Amino acid sequence: MISVKNVSKWYGAFQVLADCSTEVQKGEVVVVCGPSGSGKSTLIKCVNALEPFQEGEILVDGISVGDPRTDLPKLRSRVGMVFQHFELFPHLTVTENLTLAQIKVLNRQKDAAVAKGLKLLERVDLSAHKDKFPGNLSGGQQQRVAIARALCMDPIAMLFDEPTSALDPEMINEVLDVMVELAQEGMTMMVVTHEMGFARKVAHRVIFMDSGRIVEDAPKEEFFGTPRSERAQLFLSKILQH
Amino acid sequence: MNYNWNWGILLQAEPGGSGSYLQYLVVGLGWTLATALAAWVIALAIGLVVGTLRTTPLKWIVRLSNAYVEVFRNVPLIVQMFLWFFVLPEVLPTGLGDWMKQMPPPWGSYVPAVLCLGIYTSVRVAEQVRAGIQSLPRGQGMAGTALGLSLLQTYRYVILPMVMRIMLPPLTSEFMNIIKNSSVALTIGLLELTGRARAMQEFSFQVFEAFAAATAIYLLTNLVVVLGMRALERKVRVPGLITAQGAGAQ
Repeated sequence: MISVKNVSKWYGAFQVLADCSTEVQKGEVVVVCGPSGSGKSTLIKCVNALEPFQEGEILVDGISVGDPRTDLPKLRSRVGMVFQHFELFPHLTVTENLTLAQIKVLNRQKDAAVAKGLKLLERVDLSAHKDKFPGNLSGGQQQRVAIARALCMDPIAMLFDEPTSALDPEMINEVLDVMVELAQEGMTMMVVTHEMGFARKVAHRVIFMDSGRIVEDAPKEEFFGTPRSERAQLFLSKILQH
Repeated sequence: MNYNWNWGILLQAEPGGSGSYLQYLVVGLGWTLATALAAWVIALAIGLVVGTLRTTPLKWIVRLSNAYVEVFRNVPLIVQMFLWFFVLPEVLPTGLGDWMKQMPPPWGSYVPAVLCLGIYTSVRVAEQVRAGIQSLPRGQGMAGTALGLSLLQTYRYVILPMVMRIMLPPLTSEFMNIIKNSSVALTIGLLELTGRARAMQEFSFQVFEAFAAATAIYLLTNLVVVLGMRALERKVRVPGLITAQGAGAQ
């Protein structure tokens, strides 16, 4: 579904991604972790071309992301993305947030878009908030709306960029619950997160990144058993201490 | 100071025969507003487009827009007014230049004044649009883009609606500036409020009354603008969002 081949990226002279290669199969859940500045967010943003890259190739459902002839808006509309800071549109109600891209990008009729939006809002358990503005919701609620907004586009895969990092501790689980449910339904997911509990529960594979390189790319059991690299062992021992 | 105060002068007939001096000044206000409003339309339209273009990833368009802003921002308003009125008709093709010079009064002054003020203010608006767009979190544009919206749609539905709200207070200042700056048009012969106050002083020698009246009229006009813009700010306020005016707490 998502295929990353030898991708490198530089900000000026500084290399942020170095020869990264990995695959995400249909229905697979892949967790990407690593210390901050390791390039994990950058890598996931390259997948739907929110960040350009200079070398290598990324294929999403067989379509090359880096090819200048690719219709990027169309490709992006098929790949859902959830951000660390939610990025709901503050001037639109929850329902309008859910329907904007359905109407403007997928050309759905307003009624159909609203129906779809409300169905997914119910799924994240927020139907009562459909007419509120994002500013009147808690962080956890906003992130659940953001997930519903991405799902409204019937995505073939979902990208999560540290979806719980900006949340208060008591709100993390309500978001993770939604993500676990999605994973169990067979959604293809690439998730940048430090939530190792989530990784243990639903991930098929774990990718560990450091200094722009993919240091470890292993099935979950192997990763949490005995990571092959020292760097990943050190990282795990630090975040799993408590 | 030996000065003959005569507030009654405002109700006396002005020599042009159009009515009292007060009426003469109020007609001046009409020209001030007609100039300011027409120039405001130009300023907003060009300012929005140029300011937005300056934030796009299109390099040569950004450079062109920056050049436009710097040229019109760095030359004094009164010099620009003279350029539009005296110089432009000379450098245009003869036919067009003659047509500009032969426009009957007050249009011969009004049209250059509106163009000059509109473009002068458009670069200030453009600067504020650019600052407003860059003050938004970068993730907002990314979120729109990630949903499949095109660059144009992202600006239209995601970025600009928020930027317009952020920009309302500085836009209020710009709108008041354009009303005040329209007085410079008297230098190219437009009889707007200030021009008429000066004419009244020359006819009647009542300099204090003439300019006191003009001052009061400007004050009242801009008070109306401020109150109107405040009402607009309240109307478009985003619920739950902390705004620059601190109007709504979380």
